[in-house]
Amino acid sequence: MSLQLIKPDINIDFVGKRFFFVTLSTAINLASILLLIFVGLNYGVDFVGGSVVQLKFDRPTSGERIRQALGSLDLGEITVQDFGAAGQNQFLARFETVKNIGSLGRRIESALNQSYGDSNKVQVLRVETVGAKVGRDLRRDGFLAVAVATIFMGIYIALQFRGVSWSFGAGAVIALIHDVLVVTGALVLSRLIDPPGLNFDLTTLAALLTVIGYSVHDTIIVSDRIREDAAKRRREPLDSIMNRAINETLSRTILTSGTALTVLLSLLLLGGPILRPAAFTLFIGIITGTYSSIYIAGPVVLFWEGGKRPRSTAARAA
Amino acid sequence: MAVEIRTGRGLYRITSAAAAQVDTNGIVVTLGLERADGIERVVFRCRVSRALLDTPNPAPDAIILRISPWLEREFEVTREAAIKSIRTDRKLLEVVFDRAHPGPF
Repeated sequence: MSLQLIKPDINIDFVGKRFFFVTLSTAINLASILLLIFVGLNYGVDFVGGSVVQLKFDRPTSGERIRQALGSLDLGEITVQDFGAAGQNQFLARFETVKNIGSLGRRIESALNQSYGDSNKVQVLRVETVGAKVGRDLRRDGFLAVAVATIFMGIYIALQFRGVSWSFGAGAVIALIHDVLVVTGALVLSRLIDPPGLNFDLTTLAALLTVIGYSVHDTIIVSDRIREDAAKRRREPLDSIMNRAINETLSRTILTSGTALTVLLSLLLLGGPILRPAAFTLFIGIITGTYSSIYIAGPVVLFWEGGKRPRSTAARAA
Repeated sequence: MAVEIRTGRGLYRITSAAAAQVDTNGIVVTLGLERADGIERVVFRCRVSRALLDTPNPAPDAIILRISPWLEREFEVTREAAIKSIRTDRKLLEVVFDRAHPGPF
């Protein structure tokens, strides 16, 4: 006996609820844009330049105490974050604009040991520095990578589905922009909920590009079924074909997204602080990518075609 | 004491980052690998088996001198592994030199 999560004859009216979900998504996207403009992402050292110093203390201490101890070094603005499991006494200190970079590790170690004395010995485990210009270049290249990936995916889908309608490309691009905005908005939100929030570094950018790839893959599955059904049911209206295609692919959508989300959830909970921003990006991205394939990509095609069958399939039907 | 090594990433200094620990199995030295301009530093441990030591209680500086040419050759792999260990496992990498893998000894 096979396990059947979704009945083969399931018929949920996804397309009928499109106005509500498009309005909801538009509101979320607008909120994300406002968050990105007025709050902004918590860029990692990769993108803004500066130094990250990982410290290990013998005994517990606090971020505020570390900041005070490093104040005399005149290293610019310092962010100190508790890092690692309880009892490890590890901290990450970030310096966004290091004024005097030379011998940073030794100067920090010496300043902290002087401040704490023998009561709490400190060890600088790691120092990593990225120059401000390199950071700016990486940030520009990163956004370019997201934009180029989105545009080329849209062109690819438009070409692949040109036989049905060119609007599938537009639907995919709008769905991808929606996904990127929701994910980046969620990253900014993490900054408001639990400052300094999740880091947006090169690993997070790689996760964002993966989300784009996953989302477009999901959109293609639904669009491909729409193309097949449009050819088979030549007299059926487009919204009905679209709804049928979404229902037919629902089992596959839930199973693939569900298994991916299970893995990502364990990565999010158990992967540690370094992997958390990327795991969070992928987790939110896969949820929103699955949602946008159903409620964004399809409705865009419907709006574009005015609810009628695309001309090419309509011509074949006649 | 600091020993300088030339690498593909520039000049690096090897220093002792913590007091050496001697036990019946050998010696554990904690080394700091720092770029000469100070923009990067990573700490890792080296455990040297007693069977490879010339004297029962060698000075950490002697160990650093012995390890430095080896570290110059194995720089990329060691640096990468040490950074990865601290970043993801939040613990120091431990390089073990024993009869099976004597390294520079």
